[in-house]
Amino acid sequence: MAVTPETLVRHELVGLDVEVVSASNPDLVGVAGTVVAETTQTLEIERADGTSRVSQVPKAAATFAFDLPDGRTVTVAGERLVARPARRTEQTGDSQWR
Amino acid sequence: MTVAEERVQRLHELAREAAAACHDERAKRYVRRARRVAERHRLSLPREFERFTCDRCDAALRPGKNARVRLQDGHVVVTCDCGNQARYPYD
Ligand SMILES: [Zn+2]
Repeated sequence: MAVTPETLVRHELVGLDVEVVSASNPDLVGVAGTVVAETTQTLEIERADGTSRVSQVPKAAATFAFDLPDGRTVTVAGERLVARPARRTEQTGDSQWR
Repeated sequence: MTVAEERVQRLHELAREAAAACHDERAKRYVRRARRVAERHRLSLPREFERFTCDRCDAALRPGKNARVRLQDGHVVVTCDCGNQARYPYD
C-alpha cells in the first residue's frame, strides 16, 4: 500500500516534499522543502531555497501540499495530521488491536 | 503490504540516508519511530533492520561510516561508534 491520497494521512510524512499553501502565520505561507521531523503538533520542514533552514510549522494552523512519490500532489488540511506520529497509522482499523 | 509495514521500511531507508549525511540525531529519531510503529502494530522488525541498528543508542549502522564489522570464528561482531557490540552467528 504505497503512499496515495487515501493513505497519506496514515503514512510516513518524513522524506516527502511539501509546500505550505496556507497558514495562520503569514511568514510560513510558501515554505517549501522536505519534511525532516514530525511531532504531535508540528512538522519540521527543511527549506529547499538553498538555506537548508528548518522551519517548524504547526499542523493545526496550516494547509500542506505534499508531492507523492508517484508524482501526484495532494493538499491536506493540517488538522487531519494532528496526532502522535506513530499513532496516525492506527486510525482506520489497520491495526490488530482496537 | 500494510501501511505500517511500509512505514517501518521507509523509516529504515530514511534513517540510513540520514546517517550517511551525518544527520545522526535525525537518523536515531527515525529508528526509534520505526521501532514504535512496529511495536504498536505487533510487527517483527526486518532482520536487516535489527542487525544494522544499535540496541543501545538507536543509531542506523552503516559499516565504514559509524559501525565496524569484524568476522570471527563462528560469529560476526558489529560494533557501533557508541561502543555497543552485537554478535550474530553464521547460519
Ligand atoms: Zn550505538
